Amino acid sequence: MNKLTLWGIVFVLAMLLFTYISVSGSEGGLHGDIINQLGVAGAVALVIITVYVVVGYVRQMQEKTADGQLADEQWDGIGEYLNEVPTGWAVMFLGTMIWGMWYWVAGYPVNSYSQIGEYNEDLAVQNAKYEAQYGSITGDRLVEMGESVFLAECKVCHGLTADGIDGKAANLNQRIAAKSVKYTILHGSNNELLGMEMPMPDRNGLFNANSGALITDAEIDAVATYVANGLSGTGAGANIFAGTCASCHGADGAGMDMVAPSLKAFSPKLVTNVLNHGKKAAIGTMPSFATKLNSKQKEAVGAYITSLSK
Amino acid sequence: MFHWLEKNPFFFAVGVFVTIAFAGLVEILPNFAEQSRPVIGTKPYSTLELAGRHVYIKNSCNACHSQLVRPFKSETDRYGHYSLSGEYAYDRPFLWGSKRTGPDLMRVGNYRTTDWHENHMKSPASVVPNSIMPGYAWLFTNVADIDTAYAEQLTVAQFFSVPYNQPVPMKDGSTAVVKMGSSVADANALALAEAKVIVADMRDQDVKDAVASGKIPEIVALIAYLNSLK
Amino acid sequence: MENRPLEYDYTVAKMFMLTTIVLGIVGMLVGVILAFELAFPSINTILGSGLAEYTNFSRLRPLHTDAVIFGFTLSGIFSTWYYVGQRVLKVSMAESGLLMFLGKLHFWLYLVGVAAVVVSLLAGVTTSKEYAEFEWPIDIAIVVVWVIFGMSIFGLIGIRREKSLYISVWYYIATFLGIAMLYLFNNMEIPTILGTSAAGESGIGAWYHSVSMYAGTNDALVEWWYGHNAVAFGFTVPIVAMIYYFLPKESGQAIYSYKLSLLSFWGLMFLYLWAGGHHLLYSTVPDWMQTMGSIFSIILILPSWGSAINMLLTMKGEWQQVAASPLIKFMVLGSTFYMFSTLEGPIQAIKSVNAIAHFTDWIVGHVHDGVLGWVGFMIMAALFHMAPRVFKREIYSKSLMASQFWIQTVGVVLYFTSMWIAGITQGMMWRAHDEFGNLAYSFIDTVTVLHPYYAIRGVGGLLYLTGFLMFAYNMYKTMSARPVEESELQSASPMGA
Ligand code: HEC
Ligand code: HEC
Ligand code: HEC
Ligand code: HEM
Ligand code: HEM
Ligand SMILES: [Ca+2]
Ligand SMILES: [Ca+2]
Ligand SMILES: [Cu+2]
Repeated sequence: MNKLTLWGIVFVLAMLLFTYISVSGSEGGLHGDIINQLGVAGAVALVIITVYVVVGYVRQMQEKTADGQLADEQWDGIGEYLNEVPTGWAVMFLGTMIWGMWYWVAGYPVNSYSQIGEYNEDLAVQNAKYEAQYGSITGDRLVEMGESVFLAECKVCHGLTADGIDGKAANLNQRIAAKSVKYTILHGSNNELLGMEMPMPDRNGLFNANSGALITDAEIDAVATYVANGLSGTGAGANIFAGTCASCHGADGAGMDMVAPSLKAFSPKLVTNVLNHGKKAAIGTMPSFATKLNSKQKEAVGAYITSLSK
Repeated sequence: MFHWLEKNPFFFAVGVFVTIAFAGLVEILPNFAEQSRPVIGTKPYSTLELAGRHVYIKNSCNACHSQLVRPFKSETDRYGHYSLSGEYAYDRPFLWGSKRTGPDLMRVGNYRTTDWHENHMKSPASVVPNSIMPGYAWLFTNVADIDTAYAEQLTVAQFFSVPYNQPVPMKDGSTAVVKMGSSVADANALALAEAKVIVADMRDQDVKDAVASGKIPEIVALIAYLNSLK
Repeated sequence: MENRPLEYDYTVAKMFMLTTIVLGIVGMLVGVILAFELAFPSINTILGSGLAEYTNFSRLRPLHTDAVIFGFTLSGIFSTWYYVGQRVLKVSMAESGLLMFLGKLHFWLYLVGVAAVVVSLLAGVTTSKEYAEFEWPIDIAIVVVWVIFGMSIFGLIGIRREKSLYISVWYYIATFLGIAMLYLFNNMEIPTILGTSAAGESGIGAWYHSVSMYAGTNDALVEWWYGHNAVAFGFTVPIVAMIYYFLPKESGQAIYSYKLSLLSFWGLMFLYLWAGGHHLLYSTVPDWMQTMGSIFSIILILPSWGSAINMLLTMKGEWQQVAASPLIKFMVLGSTFYMFSTLEGPIQAIKSVNAIAHFTDWIVGHVHDGVLGWVGFMIMAALFHMAPRVFKREIYSKSLMASQFWIQTVGVVLYFTSMWIAGITQGMMWRAHDEFGNLAYSFIDTVTVLHPYYAIRGVGGLLYLTGFLMFAYNMYKTMSARPVEESELQSASPMGA
């Protein structure tokens, strides 16, 4: 075989290998996704056609000799043959022009295609598939799904391990940090954590039934530590909690429907509320994901976060 | 005929020009008016946001970031609703970009926040490990050019009737008014008021001090702009 | 009289040769820095964090594109025009004092423009539009330079001895007209000092700042009508002008087919302008314009390939020349890369392929297939051919040229294979959903996988730059190499060992 042809084949094979590497680099490869398939087909065609044609012409350099009738004129010594255009080229040129006109006039007449229409159809298909396959999953699978949402959407703020990246966002491996509890008591809270307007009063509205007075600085520190430690133990903090907070958050801190959220543990519901309304507090601002995630995804990521602090 | 043209440079040039100019007319002129009509909910940029947009352009963020959400499920999942032509009615220049070394920012205001931007712009890898985005520390000390932003507001209001100080319709049926100062001093005061809102959510003490003393660092303007991308 | 060769005057051609080389080095060096910044972000602060504002990726990227386009490529175009123009029109610039003056003025004003561009881009003064970053004062300077270029072209044509225009001249004329039209319309902008406040103040803010005449989608349409055709009239048309002269001249072969030249030229002129829509696929531009962009891109393959095939066929039966001369190798491989990128482009212009390719490194790969393998190779080949004629010395070293050829070829191959993988990988990762129907990857996951490919691209770029420095050295040494005896060199350029 001609050395050049051999090089051409080697080159094509190498590019096919690279294309294979790219495709397998993405989870699930072609995914039965028509766009992925066409993209790769285009890449493959590109290499094969170019190499085939170029090798063909280079063979002509190697094997044929120049001939034809020369034109009379010369420019700085450069002559021109009066050769006809290569037939293949002429046919292709004419062919593509006819194809173009056909496409324009008959194949896909002006305005008969709408990319938004195509999007809507595609979306409906994908959503239906998703509903059917995953709409009703629960338990461990739900947590797994939640983890996948977390890794795609949340890790840029909360970090790969949900540790909050050095206090830049909430550490979701624990229900709440002392700093946040303290901040909430000092400033109150109005983040619709219950899914509705139900603010928590600031310190000027927090009456300690044990002492018969408003909560003091020392008491705030104590109760914050107690809450951050998962409401375990029996020290001063526990007493203050019982006297000040339990009326709303419950004696065990597990919260009450429509009254106050749980301070003991995350629940998918609490997380969903945070996702729907965002949250602005001691650490910073958590954006709302109300429309970016669907309700199944919110439930799933809620299940995942709940599983973290268990 | 072609041989004749090749001997007559003037007509040759005219021939080339007509051949190439023709396409431009057909391609660009139709739909020109319709493309620039704002959709409901699109507001002109405020003074500080526009100054932030200038910071974005000055640093060529568009070299790595697009602002165009294409109608694919994978993109609407990642970035939000696909882009509509009318959303860009006040974008001069457009900032669609042509390379996504970083993610699209068309709607970044929906899912990132002031404090996150502050951390991220100072040192991207500190919040996103292995990020290849450069840090933009100098934005925290350079002072934003509010005057030029104001001049641009005046120019677009005068030449293109951009509706400043006029009610524009919002999605919920209400109207909003974007204010434009009546003088340079007034415009600077408006921008400072906006800056104070942003800086309240920031941590950097030097930036806070600067705004308190009436200067607006570029980062504050940039964040105002990023937050406006929704 | 007819037989005695004319004494052509290459003063202006020489001046632009110099800027081609210098700006080529600058532009490519910045390109290599950019490439490594994406692979190793700490290079963003290579001169310390105090200077990071001027050394980070985003500030430097427009400097790279503009230095290689408006510096390297444009200088190459000017330089070859001032060489080829005289020869194929059979008239010397020395015959007209006015044309000499215009040529020199052209050069010096161009240099002023280049300096203004470098300073303004480093300072962050830009309008953000790709390949049209300059603010209005620089636009005006560019228009002036361009008008002078036009006067030089038509002035020389006006006093020509050769009645009919050679193919290369067609392409130079088209370059002039195309860029003139595109640049003017895309840079319609209103200086903001024209705004007047209610309090009556005017001249507010930065004097050089302006705002585009068009908004949003319209602005995008005009910009990519320009951007696509800036590629046409900057990276294709004038480079075709070069190959139509330098390949037959260097090889001593006659052009394969006049008819093919003719059809390719007018086909290219007619079709190119319609294809700009392929930069706006799936955007908010009306569907029919996008479809039109795709269709015309496909048809465009043929006139593009027409020129390339014509060149390859001109070398029919001349393999021994290709094998023997590195100079001809540059041009033959150049046409090959031209074919590759003009098939790659149309394939990427198919809507479904573009859905993957757009916004990814596959486009950057496509770009550099064209600019490194075609534009870069052709311009260097042209200068190599010109050197013995303008300096009247033989090319300093053939073996250096041969090594340069292979080093750069490896460089281009590394560049486009790495970007090929990177682009397709990233495009597919962005689209991927996992088994739960959620996005499979967060954005940063799609960035970190590219690291090895960015590093490989950096190495490829470094090889190309190395080759370019060898080219510069070879040219420099040529100026003091062995003089050539013949008064008028015919085909193959003389080369030292
Ligand atoms: C009047 C009822 C009431 C009392 C008393 C009360 N809370 Fe709350 N608390 C709430 C409500 C309602 C919320 C939810 C607020 C929101 O939606 O932002 C809440 C939220 C919180 C949060 C925020 C949880 C989070 O995830 O950010 C903390 C921490 C908290 N309470 C701690 C306490 C502590 C400690 C006490 C006692 C010192 C206390 N609360 C007393 C009603 C109360
Ligand atoms: C732009 C940054 C950002 C993103 C993205 C983000 N968060 Fe947050 N998130 C925060 C910050 C900041 C806080 C802390 C708010 C505070 O308590 O001051 C927070 C708090 C939370 C909390 C704690 C609520 C509480 O009451 O203690 C939960 C739960 C949470 N985020 C879940 C998520 C989930 C799930 C996602 C992804 C779908 C997510 N976050 C994405 C920044 C972010
Ligand atoms: C070298 C390329 C590069 C440049 C230049 C760059 N970015 Fe980025 N940007 C990235 C990458 C990569 C990411 C994703 C990783 C991350 O979040 O850091 C990103 C992420 C972001 C994000 C987060 C978006 C999201 O959805 O998470 C914002 C906001 C952002 N960049 C703004 C900017 C601004 C403003 C500038 C200019 C001042 C800029 N970037 C310049 C590469 C770049
Ligand atoms: C038939 C000829 C060609 C066609 C149809 C074509 C098509 C395309 C397409 C579809 C894109 C990508 C747009 C996107 O998705 O962002 C593109 C980008 C590009 N092409 Fe080509 N191409 C052709 C030839 C060339 C050649 C020969 C060169 C250079 C020598 C070139 C240089 C570029 C450049 C610089 C870009 C990048 C534009 C940007 O900044 O986004 N193209 N081309
Ligand atoms: C030493 C060789 C070179 C290297 C290493 C190099 C590197 C780069 C890099 C890293 C980018 C940015 C890509 C991105 O944003 O991801 C780029 C863009 C670009 N370069 Fe080069 N470059 C080189 C030579 C050239 C030459 C010689 C030209 C033109 C004659 C050129 C034209 C361009 C263009 C037009 C773009 C913009 C592409 C786009 O926006 O799609 N480059 N180059
Ligand atoms: Ca680009
Ligand atoms: Ca301009
Ligand atoms: Cu194009």
